Parts: sequence; C-alpha cells; structure tokens
Amino acid sequence: MLLISSVFDVSRTLIKRRLMSLLSCPRLLSRVGQRLQPLVWSRRSSSSLWPDETDSSSDDLPRASSLTKDNQNPSQITQLTESPKLQAKDWMQRLDGLSGKARLPRSVQAVYLRPLRRKAEYGLPVCDLQLRSYNVRNVEFFADFAVRAAYYLGLPVSGPVPLPRIVERWTVPRSNFVHKKSQENFERITLRRLIQIKDGNPQTVQAWLAFLRKYAFHGVGMKANMWEYESLDVPKNLDRAGLETEKSLEGLLSQFGQRQDTRINDSLADLLNKDHLVTTKSPLAEVGKR
Amino acid sequence: MSMFRAKKLDLGGFINGKIIRDHTKRRVFEANEVERQALRYVIRNTTLPARARAQAQLQLAAMHAYTRPTQIKNRCVAGGVARSVIRDFRLGRYQFREQALAGELPGVRKASW
Repeated sequence: MLLISSVFDVSRTLIKRRLMSLLSCPRLLSRVGQRLQPLVWSRRSSSSLWPDETDSSSDDLPRASSLTKDNQNPSQITQLTESPKLQAKDWMQRLDGLSGKARLPRSVQAVYLRPLRRKAEYGLPVCDLQLRSYNVRNVEFFADFAVRAAYYLGLPVSGPVPLPRIVERWTVPRSNFVHKKSQENFERITLRRLIQIKDGNPQTVQAWLAFLRKYAFHGVGMKANMWEYESLDVPKNLDRAGLETEKSLEGLLSQFGQRQDTRINDSLADLLNKDHLVTTKSPLAEVGKR
Repeated sequence: MSMFRAKKLDLGGFINGKIIRDHTKRRVFEANEVERQALRYVIRNTTLPARARAQAQLQLAAMHAYTRPTQIKNRCVAGGVARSVIRDFRLGRYQFREQALAGELPGVRKASW
C-alpha cells in the first residue's frame, strides 16, 4: 500500500509539473495525453527523471517525493536484515497475502477450467481427428490439449467423443510345451477419442494438425481425415484446375515413358521362350520348348 | 537352397537355420513375384492362344519352389518357432506370454472378464 501510494504521489506531481510546462510549451500537449496514462511509466520516470529535475522544480512537490523515498528505503533495509531469521514465516505470510489479492495469469487459470470452445456458425465438418491410446489418462489429456489448441486457433470443435473401445484378447498356454489345460488370457484395449472440427479454414486446420504433431504425446496415436468443400460449379473448377496441373506437370511428363535402353520389342511368345524361363531341369521343360 | 541364400548374413535379431531359410524364401519370392503374376495372367486369360497358355502353365510349374508364396511361413522373431505365432507381435505364444508378463508389449496386460 505504501509503495502504491508513493507511486500515485509521484505521478500526481508529474501531472502537475507537466501541466505547468504545458503552458510554456503547447507542442507537448499531444504527447502528454498518451504518456501519463500508464502507471508503470510514471513509476519508471520517477526513478530516472526525478533526481535531475528536483533542483529546478517548485519546493513542496519534490519534498513529498523525497519523503516517500526516505520512508521506503529504511523500511526495506530493515526488512532485508530481519528476513533471514523469519524467512519461513515471511514466505507463508506472503503467500497468504498473495492468495487473497493476486491471481494467476488468465491463460494459466484456464488450464484448471473446462476448455473454452468456439461456436460453430454452420456446423460443416471439416476434419475428423481420431486419437488412440492404451492409456485413458494419456488420451484424455491429449484430447483436452487438442481442444484447447483448436480454441486458440479459432476453430470450432465438437468432442472429444469417446468411440467404442477396441478389445483384443489372446489366450495362450502357460507352458512352453503341451499342458493345454492351463492357459492364460491377455488383452489389449485401445481407447479412442474423436475430435471433429467444424467449418474451419483448411489451412488453419492444417496448422492445428501440425501443431498437434509437433507436440505429440507419448503413447497417443493420431489419425486425421480432412474434407475440403468446393463451390457448386464443379466442371468449371475442374477445367481450371486441369489446365494448371497440366502446366505444372509438363516438365515431369516430358521425362515420363519407357527408357530406350530397356525397351523390349519381343512378342509374348518370344518373351515366354526366353532362356531363363525355359532352361529348367524339370522333365516337362522339353514340352514347353517344342 | 544355397544358391539363393545371401553370401553374407543379411538378417538381424534371433538367427536360426530355419529363420534364414524362411528369409531366403521371402527374398526369392519378392524377386520373382512379377514374373509369377505375368505367367498366372497368361494362363487365365482365355483370349490368348491355347498354346501360349499351356506353355505359360508349364513354365509356372517349372519355376523354383522358393518363388512360391506358399513356401513362406511366419516365424517367431524371438525364438524361431513356427507354430502358434501371434501375428500382431510376430511372436510365438510362449515368447508372447513371457514378454507380456514382463510388460514389454505396450498395452498388453492380463485379462479377466
């Protein structure tokens, strides 16, 4: 509280001083409006600008500031000297104080809450992402992560939908030889989650998928299906796309074809009569040659 | 067959005479697959002359046994056992049990239902 009030004092004094200087210099007027608003600025300036200006300014204002400074510094020093003895208690007090007044950053707070979601305008499915894992925690965690990532990319999401589990079971004899009566069962349960993106820009969806791949979680597999939508005038678009692709493929197609040195002009009969097919040791090979 | 076998060992993991043989068969089959398929196509294509088809039949029959896909048998990669090999893990049943109990197969655990 003390510190804050002192900062206020300083800022107020600064405002006064600025106003006074404004009378002499109207050019500053535009700048003052911007610069006086943030509190931080006034605090910074109080440390940097104050000392050299104290001499020139009026009597009562600098004294107030110097007073606050004098009040602060000794108290700080005493705190510092006392702190080694009562450090544990101090920390507890500090934390108590913090919990009452301060808060975590919003982005960190959001982690403790349910993931935020965008609202789908049209509800057109664009991308299906399936997550698979043998572990509930991993797949749940990563699904949550994916939903949050989608929110921050501005993609409306539905899900995660828990799809049916895939249960595989094996029964094997316990022994390595005979004794079929004593067997053991093993199973592997694959858990699946489906996350569907609704009406998002394909490039944004790609970015989202790339982000998920970059931060892929251990033991969680991903599979994505994307759908792109065309306008109703399909033939026109196809014609346009065809011309473009032909142009882009020209270089490749010029090199396409059979190599000259590997070309075989033999007929099928010749091909079948080739030596490596005919010369065999089997008794029927003679028949084939004839 | 020694003529097909690689001069240098081209296989890692558990090694066994039978495993090497199976590996060789897989390689030979792969090398001759196109030829086999071509001959099979000629044999089944009724538009081709009967003589050519009969010839193709004989030639297909004359090809080496190692070029046949039926010669290939899945074997346990950890013990070379050929029976009761679990396809998902390419392991024989006993190796599978051992590894599953040791927790070496992800997601596999003892089932009871």
